[in-house]
Amino acid sequence: MIAAAAPDGVALSPLVAFFAVFTRPQGDDAEPAGGLDEDAIARLVDQARAGDASARQALYLQHVDRVFRVVRGMLRSDADAEDVTQDAMLTVLASLDRYRPRPDARFAAWVIAIALNTARRRFRRRRPELTATGELPDVPDAGIDPVAALDRARQRRALLVALAELPEREREIVSLRYGAELNASDIGAAMGVEPATIRKILERTRSRLGARLEDLLGREGGTR
Amino acid sequence: MIDVGETWSTLEPTGRQRQRIDAHVAAWLEARDTPLAAEWLGLLKASPFSAVGLLAASTVSLAAATPAVWLVVALLRS
Repeated sequence: MIAAAAPDGVALSPLVAFFAVFTRPQGDDAEPAGGLDEDAIARLVDQARAGDASARQALYLQHVDRVFRVVRGMLRSDADAEDVTQDAMLTVLASLDRYRPRPDARFAAWVIAIALNTARRRFRRRRPELTATGELPDVPDAGIDPVAALDRARQRRALLVALAELPEREREIVSLRYGAELNASDIGAAMGVEPATIRKILERTRSRLGARLEDLLGREGGTR
Repeated sequence: MIDVGETWSTLEPTGRQRQRIDAHVAAWLEARDTPLAAEWLGLLKASPFSAVGLLAASTVSLAAATPAVWLVVALLRS
């Protein structure tokens, strides 16, 4: 049997251990999500629908970090982002039968639309103050250079401050663009907005965010 | 100008966060994939008296509910 240990030392079940084996290194070594092309994803979806657990796990692993990056940009805490990520991924895996491939939209866009709706439900339950800005990230992973970790933490905090100052719609759009790496058409499809409008908002928000980040990191004496 | 896309990579989940998310999702999937009969067998193994008690209570409920439903339907029709 595969054995793995949780952070608190509790023994994990074989299925949990299976996931743990595939947990990728985070931080600078992490690869961007989205390595598979749409045909490969479609095959995985078919296999998962037919009950293939390894295909279901592959789909999960392909999208979970991307979902977290998106919802972390929208929500006020790491804990909320964790909750929403797991709820959204469970909805995705439980709803694969309802997924209908479309030539103009990628599977990732469908996944992210589910994550967006899950995060919005979370907004409605707890009115914003959307983004807690002083919050420190979880304990850094072992083996990461402390100076680099500090620099990343500073950048992370500045980004969360800058995001908190954006209106909700703009925050959603930039989260979908940079967290999920979706293009304007995919974002438009997920949000029900014209791609041209998305492009305009993205251009404006990108420069606003960039300037604010420079201001915040410069003021803090950041290395960037 | 700072690259927003590059800065966004700081919002990746940490290894511990990923472990917690993976554990919750895996536990849910495991529960979903476990047939009811296997759950009962597991319960019987772990706590035989509770399992027998639950089974007895379920049987009594079913036996009592059937005539009660019949009676309510008959009263509504009359």
